[in-house]
Amino acid sequence: MPRRDLWQRYRKNRAAVLGLGVFGAVAATAILGPLFYRRDPWAFATRPFLWPGSRPEFPLGSDAMGRDVLAGVIHGAWVSLLIGLTATAASVGIGMTIGAFAGYFRGWADDALMRFTEVFQTIPNFIFVIVLVAIFKPSIRTIVLAIAIVSWPPIARLVRAEFLTLRQREFVQACIVLGMSESRIIWRQILPNCLAPVIVLGSIMVATAILVEAGLAFLGLGDPNVVSWGKMIGDGRGSLRTAWYLSAIPGMAILLTVLSLNLVGEGLNDAFNSRLDRR
Amino acid sequence: MRSLRPVHIRLVVMIVAVVALSAIGFAGAQPRRGGTLNFILKPEPPHLQGAVSTADPVWQATSKFHNGLLNYDPNLNPVPELAESWQVSPDNRTMTFKLRRGVKFHDGHDFTSADVKFTMEEVIKKFHPRGRTVFAKLDEVQTPDRYTAIFKFSAPSPYVIFVLNASETPILPKHVYAGSDPRNNPANSAPIGTGPFRFVKWEKGQFILAERNEKYWDAGKPYLDKLIFRIVPDASARAVGLESGDLDLGGPWPVPMADQARLGDLPHLALEPRGYTMVSSMLYLELNMRDSAFKDVKVRRAIAHAINPAQLAAVVWFGSAAPATGPISDKLTRFYSPNVPRYEYAPKKAEALLDEAGLKRGVGGVRMRLTLDAAPYDENYLRSGEFVREQLRQVGIEASMRSQDAPAYFRRIWTANEFQLNLYGISNTPDPTIGVQRLYWSKNIISGAPFTNGSGYANPQMDRILEAAQIEADPQKRKKLWDEFQQFAMSELPIIPLLRLDMVTIMNKRVKNLAAGGLGIYDTFADVYVER
Amino acid sequence: MRLQLGRFLVRRLAQAVLTVVCIAILNFLLLHLAPGDVADVLAGEAGAADARYVAELREKFGLDQSIAVQLGRYLWSIGRLDLGQSLRYQMPVFRLILQRLSPTLLLMVASLATAFVGGLVLGVTASRRARSMVDNVISVLALLAYATPLFWLGLMLIVLLTLKLGLLPAGGMYTIGATQTPVAHALDVLRHLILPATTLALFYMATYTRLMRASMLEVLGSDFVRTAHAKGLSEWRVLYGHALRNAILPMVTLLGVQVGSLLGGAVVVEVVFAWPGLGRLAFEAIFQRDINLLLGILLLSSCLVIVVNLAVDLLYTRLDPRIVLD
Repeated sequence: MPRRDLWQRYRKNRAAVLGLGVFGAVAATAILGPLFYRRDPWAFATRPFLWPGSRPEFPLGSDAMGRDVLAGVIHGAWVSLLIGLTATAASVGIGMTIGAFAGYFRGWADDALMRFTEVFQTIPNFIFVIVLVAIFKPSIRTIVLAIAIVSWPPIARLVRAEFLTLRQREFVQACIVLGMSESRIIWRQILPNCLAPVIVLGSIMVATAILVEAGLAFLGLGDPNVVSWGKMIGDGRGSLRTAWYLSAIPGMAILLTVLSLNLVGEGLNDAFNSRLDRR
Repeated sequence: MRSLRPVHIRLVVMIVAVVALSAIGFAGAQPRRGGTLNFILKPEPPHLQGAVSTADPVWQATSKFHNGLLNYDPNLNPVPELAESWQVSPDNRTMTFKLRRGVKFHDGHDFTSADVKFTMEEVIKKFHPRGRTVFAKLDEVQTPDRYTAIFKFSAPSPYVIFVLNASETPILPKHVYAGSDPRNNPANSAPIGTGPFRFVKWEKGQFILAERNEKYWDAGKPYLDKLIFRIVPDASARAVGLESGDLDLGGPWPVPMADQARLGDLPHLALEPRGYTMVSSMLYLELNMRDSAFKDVKVRRAIAHAINPAQLAAVVWFGSAAPATGPISDKLTRFYSPNVPRYEYAPKKAEALLDEAGLKRGVGGVRMRLTLDAAPYDENYLRSGEFVREQLRQVGIEASMRSQDAPAYFRRIWTANEFQLNLYGISNTPDPTIGVQRLYWSKNIISGAPFTNGSGYANPQMDRILEAAQIEADPQKRKKLWDEFQQFAMSELPIIPLLRLDMVTIMNKRVKNLAAGGLGIYDTFADVYVER
Repeated sequence: MRLQLGRFLVRRLAQAVLTVVCIAILNFLLLHLAPGDVADVLAGEAGAADARYVAELREKFGLDQSIAVQLGRYLWSIGRLDLGQSLRYQMPVFRLILQRLSPTLLLMVASLATAFVGGLVLGVTASRRARSMVDNVISVLALLAYATPLFWLGLMLIVLLTLKLGLLPAGGMYTIGATQTPVAHALDVLRHLILPATTLALFYMATYTRLMRASMLEVLGSDFVRTAHAKGLSEWRVLYGHALRNAILPMVTLLGVQVGSLLGGAVVVEVVFAWPGLGRLAFEAIFQRDINLLLGILLLSSCLVIVVNLAVDLLYTRLDPRIVLD
C-alpha cells in the first residue's frame, strides 16, 4: 500500500488533518511536557483555588489543595494516552488473534470462539470494567487490562469477517497449493490486508478507552498514584460552583483528545475506502 | 394622694401592655406544629436497628423510632428519657432506674421494665458491636416491678451511664424480638419502638418515610408531621439538594468540604457544629507494629515530625478539624490531658531521626518505601492520604497509596494485616474505655473484626493502665490513669493521632431546635420543628 | 417459512441458554475472587468488634463453604429461575430488581427514543445537503456531543438548569412525600426525567446522527435511488419512501447493541442524578459485595441483550426481504 498515496488522500479531508494536528499536540504535551515544565503535579505549590491567569507562574490556576493545574493537565495527558494506547493495543492483540483463528479455521473452532465472543459482548461493558477494577484493585495495570478485556469483541468480529472473505481469495488458495505453512498464511498473507479497518476501529477505541478511564477515575476507581484527567474532574466536582475551571479544563482536554482521535479515525477510513473504490 | 386621672390610667395600661407584649416576644417563638423535614441519610444503611449496629446512618435513624433510658445535654450530662430518675450506688456496681409510666410502643403495647431487661440481656450484651465489651460486667437486670429496672454489675463500669441514649442503646419491644435472632428480625427494617416517629415505609434506594407518633409520651411532641429520610448517595447531589431547598438537613459533612463554607454563607443555610461530642471523631495514622519497618521508635517519631497537621486541617478539611496532641479529643474534657510528648512539624528533625535509625537517603533521595492505605469510604480520608504521602516524600519516605473499596480495605487491614500505614477516622465515643482502649489493648487484636487493634500493638504496661482504668470507680483516680495512658501512648506511638475532626451539620434555617440537646442529628427530633 | 422460523428460534434459544450459563459462571467466579465479602462490609459498617460476629454472618450467607459448592448451589437455583436473596438488603433479588426496573426502563426508553428520532432527523437533514453549512454544523455538534464525558455533561447541565436557572430538579425521580393525583405524579416524574434523559440522549444521539448520515449518503448514491429520481418521483418520496427504508438498517442494529450498553453507561448518569435505576444498584452491589444481587442484574441484562438481538434479527427480515433467516 503506497504510503504517499495514502497521505495524499488523507490530506483531502481538512477535518482529518486538523484532528491529526491536535492529536500530535496532545502527544507532544504528554511526552515533552514533563521535560520542559518541571513542576510536580502533587506538590502543594501555592494557595488553593487560584483562578487561571490570576498569577503568571500558575497559568491554569491551582486546585483545592494548592496543586498546579497545568502540571496536572500535562501529566494527565501522559496517563490518558498511555492507558488509551496500551489498552487498545492489548485489545487489538486479543481480538485479532481470536478473529484470525475463528475466520481462518471456521468449523467448530469458529463456533466456540464466537460463543466466547458473545459472552463478552452480552455482559454490560462499563459495569464489567468496574467489577474487574474493583476486584483487582485500581492501578494503571488493572485498568488497562480491564478495558482491554471488555473491548476486544468488535475487533474479533471485524477480523473474522475479513478473514472469511479473504480466505477465499485466489492468492491465499495459491499459497495453500504452494504448501505454505498455516501460520505464515495467517500472519504474513491475510492479516496485513486486514490492517486498514483495524486501524480505523483502533483509533476510535483509543478514544473510547480514554473516556472509560476518565469515567473510572471520576467514580474514584483510578490509580491513586497518578494524576489523570478523570481524577481531576472528579476532584473538582466538590467545588463545582465556585471553581468550575477545575472540572472544565481537564474536561476540555479529554474532549479535544477524543475529538481529534475520532477525526483521525474518520480520515483514515475515508482514505482507505477511496482506495477500494478506485479498484 | 391624688387619684389617677383617666389619661394616666390609659398610659399605665399602654405601658403594661407594651411591656407584656415585648416579654412574650423576648420569650422566643413558639414551636410550630406541623410540616415535613427532609433529612439526608448517607449512605443507605442495611437496616435501622441501633441495637445491632453502630454504623453512622443507623445511629441517625434509630433514635427517631426508639427511645433510650436517658438522653444527654450539650455537656453530656444525663437527662431523663424513658427513665424518669436514677441512682448509682457509691461502688458503681448498681444502677437503679425508675421508668416512665404510660409509655406505649407504636403497636399499642405498654413499655415496662421487662423490655429493658430483655433489651439489655438478650440483645445489647449479646449482639451489639460495642455492647459485648461495654456491658461485659453487667450480670443481670432486675425488675422488682413494672417500672423499676436495676442494673447489677460484677465490677464497676463507670462509663455505662454515658451510653444509654436511643442511638447507642435503644430499648426494644420484648414482644416483637423475643424468641428471634435480633440481627435478622424483620422489625429491624420496619422499627417498632417508643420513639416520636412511626415507621411508614422504606423505598430502597430512595427514602424512608416516618410520621408523627400521635401517642408519644411527651405530650404535644413531636412537632413535625412527617420525617423523610432521603437517600442521596452522591455528595454533590446532596449539595445541590440543600441549596435548592429540596433537602433540609444532613450530617456529618454531607457535602464536599470545599463546598461547605460556600453553602454556609447562603442566606437560607447554616452550619451547625454542635451535637457531635458523643462521637468525637479523630483521624489516626496507624502503623503496623508487626512490620520490621516500624520496630525502631525513632522511625515512628520521625513520621510524626514529618507531617504538618495544621496544614492538613486547613488544606484538606477546610478548617473542619484541628491538630490532635494525643489519641483523646480535647473536647472530652473529663479525660483529655495536654501533658504528653509533642511532635511538632519539623521535617529536619524527622530527617535527623531517620538518619540516626540508619535509613540514609539512597537512590533518588529515597530512604524507605512504604505502602499507605486510606479508608476508602470517604473522600476526605483519601485526600488526607495524598497529603500525608506528599509530606513523607519531603523527608525521603516514598509512600505509595493503594486503592481499594471498603470490603477489600477491611479485609486487608483487619483480617490479613497486610499493610504498613493505615489512615482512617474513628470515634472516641463519650468514654475512652469504649472508644480508645480498643485500639491499644493487646486483648483486642481480633482477626476479621474491623476497628479493633489493627496495629497489633501489645505492651503489658499499656494493658495494665487500660485494664485499671476500665474498672476504676473513683473519677479522680480514673482521670489520673487516663493521663498516664495518654503520656505512654504518645511516647510509644503505634498510632500517630493527626487531627480532631470537627463534624458539621448543614441545615436549612427553617429547621429549629436541633441543638437543644447534646446529640444534634443523633437525637430523637422530638423537639425539632420547621418554620413556614 | 413457519417451520424455518420455529427452527431458528429453537436454535437461538439453545445458544442463549448456553451463553447465559457461561456468563453466570464467569461472573460468579470473578466475584468470588474479590478480596473481602459481604460479611466484611456489614461488619465494617456495623463497627463490629469481634470475629464471632463476622463468622456467624458468613455462615448465615453460606459463604463458609467451598466455591464449587456455592457455584453448584447458585446454578441450581438459577435453573429454577430463583435469583436468590440479596445479602445486604435481605430481600429477594428479583423483587429488588423489579422495584428498580420501571425507573430504568423509563430512562432507557426516553433517552434511546429521543436519541434515535433526533439522530434520524439530524442525520437525514445533514445527508440531504452534504458538505453544506448545515451539514458541517450538525457534524461538528455530533462530534462534540460524542467526545464530551458523560458525567461532565450531566454536572454542567445541573449547574446551568438547576442551580443557576432553577428550572428543573437536581435529582431523584419524584418529589417525596407529596400526595399527588396520578396525572400530577406523572408530570412530576417527567420533570425529574428531563435532565438525566437529555444527558444520555445527547451522547447517543451523536452516534445515531453520524451513522444515519453515513448510511443515507451511501444509499443516496446507489443505483435504485438514481432510478427513482429518474422516474420523476418527488424528493420527499425518494428520501422517506425508498432511501430511508434501507438506510435505517444499521441504525436498528446499533439500537440493539446500545440497549445492552445502556445499562452500564447509565451508571454514571444515575449516580450524578440520583436516579434509582439498575445501573446504580449494580454499582453499589459491587462495593457491598452483594454477589447475588450483582449476578442477578448482570444475568437479567444479558438476557435482555440476547432477546433484543433476536428481535433485531427478526426485524431485519421485515425491513429487507433480501436477508434470510440463517
